Amino acid sequence: MPKRTDIKKILVIGSGPIVIGQACEFDYSGTQACRALREEGYEVVLVNSNPATIMTDPTTADRTYVEPITVDAVTRVIEREHPDALLPNMGGQTALNCAVALGEAGVLEREGIEVIGCDLDSIKRGEDRELFAAAVRDIGLEVARSGFAHSLEEAEGVAAELGYPVVIRPSFTLGGAGGGIAHNHAELVRIVSQGLALSPEHEVLVEESIEGWKEIEEEVMRDAAGNGIVICSIENLDPMGVHTGDSITVAPAQTLTDGELQRLRDYSIAILERIGVATGGSNVQFAVNPDNGRVIVIEMNPRVSRSSALASKATGFPIAKAAALLAVGYTLDEITNDITQETPACFEPALDYCVVKVPRFAFEKFKGASDTLTTRMKSVGEAMAIGRTFEEALQKALRSLEQGHAGLLADDKADALADMTEDELAAAVATPTPQRIFQVGEALRRGWAHDQIHYLSGIDPWYIDRMGDIAEAAAYIGRAGLAALDAYHMLAAKQLGFSDVQIAHLTRSSEQVVRALREVLGVRPTVMTVDTCAGEFAAKTSYHYLTYEKEPMRIDAAPLSVEEEQAGAADEKPRVVILSAGPNRIGQGIEFDYCCVHASYALRDMGYESVMVNCNPETVSTDYDTSDRLYFSPLTFEDVMDVVEACEPAGVIVTLGGQTPINLAHRLAEAGVPIMGTQPDAIDLAEDRDRFSSLLDRLEITYPPSSVAETPEEARAVARRIGYPLIVRPSYVLGGRGMAIVYDDSDLKTYMTDAARVSPDHPVYLDSFLEDAIELDVDALCDGDDCYVGAVLEHIEECGIHSGDSACCFPPFSLSDRIVARIRDIARRLALAVDIHGLLNIQFAVKDEQIFVIELNPRASRTVPFSSKATGVPLARMATRIMAGEHIADLRAAGELPPEDAPRTWFAVKEAVMPWSRFPGADVILGPEMRSTGEVMGVGRTFPEAYAKTRLAIDYEMPERGSVFISVCDRDKRAIAPVALALHNLGYDLVATAGTAKTLRSIGLRCRVVHRISEGGDNVLDAMARGEIAFIINTPHGHESRSDGTRVRSEAVNRGATLVTALSGATALVQALASTRGRSLDVYALQDLN
Amino acid sequence: MNLLVGEARGSAAPRALLALEDGTVFAGYAAGAEGETFGEIVFNTSMTGYQEIVTDPSYAGQIVVLTYPQIGNYGVAAAVAQAGQAHLRGLVVRDLCRTPSNWTSEGGLREMLAAAGIVSIEGVDTRALTLDIRDNGAMRAAISTTDLDPEHLVARVSASEPISAHNYVADVSGGVAAVAPEGKAVAHVVAYDCGEKTGIAQGLAREGIDVTAVAWDTPADEALTAVPGGADGVFFSNGPGDPEQVATTAEAARALLGRVPVFGICLGNQILSRAAGATIEKLPFGHHGGNEPVMNLLTGRVEITAQNHNYGLRWDDALGPLVSELSAGETDHHADDLRFWSGRHIAPVAMTRELGRVRLTHVNLNDGTPEGIQFLDVPAFSVQYHPEACPGPHDSSYLFRAFARLLADPKSTDYLAIDFAEGRRF
Repeated sequence: MPKRTDIKKILVIGSGPIVIGQACEFDYSGTQACRALREEGYEVVLVNSNPATIMTDPTTADRTYVEPITVDAVTRVIEREHPDALLPNMGGQTALNCAVALGEAGVLEREGIEVIGCDLDSIKRGEDRELFAAAVRDIGLEVARSGFAHSLEEAEGVAAELGYPVVIRPSFTLGGAGGGIAHNHAELVRIVSQGLALSPEHEVLVEESIEGWKEIEEEVMRDAAGNGIVICSIENLDPMGVHTGDSITVAPAQTLTDGELQRLRDYSIAILERIGVATGGSNVQFAVNPDNGRVIVIEMNPRVSRSSALASKATGFPIAKAAALLAVGYTLDEITNDITQETPACFEPALDYCVVKVPRFAFEKFKGASDTLTTRMKSVGEAMAIGRTFEEALQKALRSLEQGHAGLLADDKADALADMTEDELAAAVATPTPQRIFQVGEALRRGWAHDQIHYLSGIDPWYIDRMGDIAEAAAYIGRAGLAALDAYHMLAAKQLGFSDVQIAHLTRSSEQVVRALREVLGVRPTVMTVDTCAGEFAAKTSYHYLTYEKEPMRIDAAPLSVEEEQAGAADEKPRVVILSAGPNRIGQGIEFDYCCVHASYALRDMGYESVMVNCNPETVSTDYDTSDRLYFSPLTFEDVMDVVEACEPAGVIVTLGGQTPINLAHRLAEAGVPIMGTQPDAIDLAEDRDRFSSLLDRLEITYPPSSVAETPEEARAVARRIGYPLIVRPSYVLGGRGMAIVYDDSDLKTYMTDAARVSPDHPVYLDSFLEDAIELDVDALCDGDDCYVGAVLEHIEECGIHSGDSACCFPPFSLSDRIVARIRDIARRLALAVDIHGLLNIQFAVKDEQIFVIELNPRASRTVPFSSKATGVPLARMATRIMAGEHIADLRAAGELPPEDAPRTWFAVKEAVMPWSRFPGADVILGPEMRSTGEVMGVGRTFPEAYAKTRLAIDYEMPERGSVFISVCDRDKRAIAPVALALHNLGYDLVATAGTAKTLRSIGLRCRVVHRISEGGDNVLDAMARGEIAFIINTPHGHESRSDGTRVRSEAVNRGATLVTALSGATALVQALASTRGRSLDVYALQDLN
Repeated sequence: MNLLVGEARGSAAPRALLALEDGTVFAGYAAGAEGETFGEIVFNTSMTGYQEIVTDPSYAGQIVVLTYPQIGNYGVAAAVAQAGQAHLRGLVVRDLCRTPSNWTSEGGLREMLAAAGIVSIEGVDTRALTLDIRDNGAMRAAISTTDLDPEHLVARVSASEPISAHNYVADVSGGVAAVAPEGKAVAHVVAYDCGEKTGIAQGLAREGIDVTAVAWDTPADEALTAVPGGADGVFFSNGPGDPEQVATTAEAARALLGRVPVFGICLGNQILSRAAGATIEKLPFGHHGGNEPVMNLLTGRVEITAQNHNYGLRWDDALGPLVSELSAGETDHHADDLRFWSGRHIAPVAMTRELGRVRLTHVNLNDGTPEGIQFLDVPAFSVQYHPEACPGPHDSSYLFRAFARLLADPKSTDYLAIDFAEGRRF
């Protein structure tokens, strides 16, 4: 069927902020969908609250509303835009839930909007476990035996029938939030209570455990004609019991026979048909009993998902794009395969390589939380690698994590495992954690029987044998030494995925020597192409990976043509390589991908051939058509050098991908690689505290007194000199990793002992902590002659809270124009003095009208996408043009860079989104170490209105009535009074602990006093359990440990109650509540703002 | 197995060479039997199903390259073999697994290859090899563990016999018979076994069709009486090599068409097409894999199919002029790209000289080649691909049901219009 002409305008809903379980894969899918629909001539209206995305770029959709994904806000958009259709299956669970709610609220019917791409009944059937189980049984397939429970008693009844262990899955939650495996009654009580609280339907499923079975996912597409295809089968290396988002996964499936896989294919297509997925992509998960092949259907997602992003990258098949085209009426046979450009999309990709995805975790930021992996997803990012064998792909993926591993084993981190006793190792191998894969590597290195490792871990023997091969080869290399590695043996080592670092480690040599030796031996990587068809047809796109193969000989014939030249992009254009940001982590996420994608677009527009290097499968940057050429490759020195040697670029951009490429800049430059934009020496000037301090001194710019220490003794001496409180942190880190505020000697001593482990090669910085100062972020451009200050962002939370976790506002809402002008001036002088060419970010603190420079990042910052959207100036694109030689003066003259102080008639606020609920046990307070996973943006005519939108975008509703529990530290007692008064006037009842109550009563406010938890009796936890508390203002008392505050905050997270832990945030929230009271907020399209 | 691992275990395999007619030589390691083998080299893009491929008699005379790099992962099991023995000339893989893992596994692929005497090589850049075959066509090749002189081996390849010079069907025609499950038999047919895969006999049996096999060169009358009481229908199987070599079978087909319902698969399709007057052409590198999209023009539905053929018919004038009133008014066959028809969901009909009208029923969406035909005036149809899969997707298994429908009502013409997903239960 050709595309539909009866619809013209399509509303697309995004997935909102990056949270665990719903990350930037939906930027990838949403961006693909918007582009595909616009190419077909449809007008696209987008709602998404996440400013960090390419999707919310004003050029991606026709009308872009960065607004909360709530029924209210989306209804306002609908009323303004009158779309004909709604496409809800590109924005994850958030978009689907919103679509269902819009349907139930009658909005869709009233406005005559057709839901395309899926129907709401089929969503219900796919997501509601009871309906799903019935549908699956109906076609003769099995689901795990189970029962639903709406109360703890019901859950106990079901568990008694099934026997422990049982799996608990709450209905309708993201990424399985609130689920888990209960091995006994106590665990059942804990998990069920949590699950019931988190499920919007207050419903959990209790089912028989199939822990230890193989877990297989099928990525399926279906069109309106009923054609069904499987894009990819994905096998989890970790058996059932670990959420697939937290598992190491492998594509295609490795240990199933053709018969088994074809049956799963039949089942998954039949399930889509039975559920009624009219068109689009879905993901079906199966458990397969490794002893007899018995198959149990686990679940399906009737929408594009994290797995479909992975499958798209793993196969080259653009699932989201195809799903968008199917939604407007095309059938699969009518869509062309972009890669071959001559065959249809109605086929099943054939891979001639192996793909391994490894999750990246951030447990180190959530002290107190258990790092055991369960059915509840906890990873914050992932790396994918492509190799010709599983062994190669696994080792590449592990080094792609950027967590100090050079591969599976044979590196410094692996050596540290040698200290584990046999018992400790056995326990570690038996417990799924982020480190388990390396512990399995260690067990293999020790020569443990493969059977035993299989018995302990449940990992299929095939994978253990392959990793065993790696261990045996490592031992062989270690025994034989570097001299024994001739071309054949070196090639064999590289074919197992050994990095130069590992080979150097094993042969007690250096990475440089190994690389030089390889050069002499002629062991260089081969460029291969991801083409969806295993070479059957010529690829027209340049999606590549590097691997190692022995080159064939040619007798009396010309050499075989080189594949990357066949791919078509090899014309005369100069090439520029963009080094992207690698796996998402806290502190380095989608924002940097946004910058790199913009750079690629800008380069293509300027007539360069853009070359992207990245290993993150979730992103837009790793889409095969974002750049002229894509190398899916780890971002280590070795791998980047290999790409550079393969494509001989005119320049390499290192300043847009966060700290990852910045850390490589020096070595790349030393190796003769042409760095574009800010040069490594300027990077060093900004990052070297001594050099930077001298520069500030020379320019007479103020900065907080600071110093550097390498030992605890030195640190104490610094503290004596500067005075407490101090902000302490290791050098060369991102996201405030290991950063803390210390108030006294004992804090400092503890910190120095811990910090020594954080970054052993680098000293610790100690800065005077400016209490109660206002913090600012500045994003600016510099071309060496001129500096353009793109945005001055005022933080809402005071200094001491990591800028990534702090809300911020553009334009500044409390600073005078005079101060802002001075800040611009300082930024300008600094940028020129450091000799930045491209983007820079400066953090300032303002205290008592005095301006301090806290730090300068000689690269794109996390706030660039927000700044760009708030100001309407695409900073990353401009930076790229500057790096390519354009001048700020010309850009100003052309009007592409509008006046820096142009008056604004609205405010844009960015607020951070915290993952607390994923890490039970960790304390829930904001601090100098960044913990947020994502951000939202709100736009309003006033600051409170804009801030209110960010709260709505995160929580989806405001605590409109009820009681507010207030408990603040002494420092905040004075300032809490106006906040409490405002709350009282808004009609909230106040509840407080004795100390805070005294303050409130002294200004004449009535409040109910509850006991401290330790005192027993009616305490705040009881009140929360009764549902009386609408939200909580709790500022931590200094450096408390397992106190009342910790328990209150953790309970608030469990119950999903609004929680504010900084007074500045409380003030903003109260203003927001006042501004939204009783009215629905106006919505604004980005295209109308600037 | 990786060289380092092999040496670490003291079991490194001997060196081997793979030489191609075009002068390309790959160095690798012996992976099955040692020795030497010559044949036509083709690649197969199926990611799983190596055992079915290795035992598929249609590969007789050929050296098969598997494009998926790691082969042998789940071992081998007697139940999935497509014939009593392996018939291919050689196997080329990137990496052969020595330690398979699956509950069905009864042994390793390497041991199976060695026992069957199949000379094989691993450690080859199978992608570079595949691109060479794609660009330059299927060609003669050799694997040797004894002649390690590249120039010498290439010269010997150039002097070797092309696949079209030998009747491989005669080598593999055996006797794959099957019996429908008890109480289910609806018909009893004779199968011309030109190298029939076990999966086909099983597919027919599942639909209640008992199968008695006869040799490729059995005369028509003899075939019909091979079944007590006379055969209800005749099936022409898949098979290896150049269809020119089986003129005898085509003659028998000509004699049988119109007498009983007839169904053909792969070589069987070529045999029926020849009987109807069609030209048979050799495709540059054929279709070998499990992901080929084929549209059933009668339903508009696309099947993902398993394929394994180098030859196919041409849907052109040689078959006969189009019957324009049955072809949406068209008179041009659009022989070079039949996606003209699939794009319009039209099943054109040609008028043959002797067998009446023939309808084009299936088209390959990747390259617009014909994949299936149906005789409208005699009860017969055939497809170029493999509804039995083995290995591959099961979408096309409805064709066995279609044959059962034709056997039940030889006058019907709508027996192919089956929605393969309808009412699916497991």
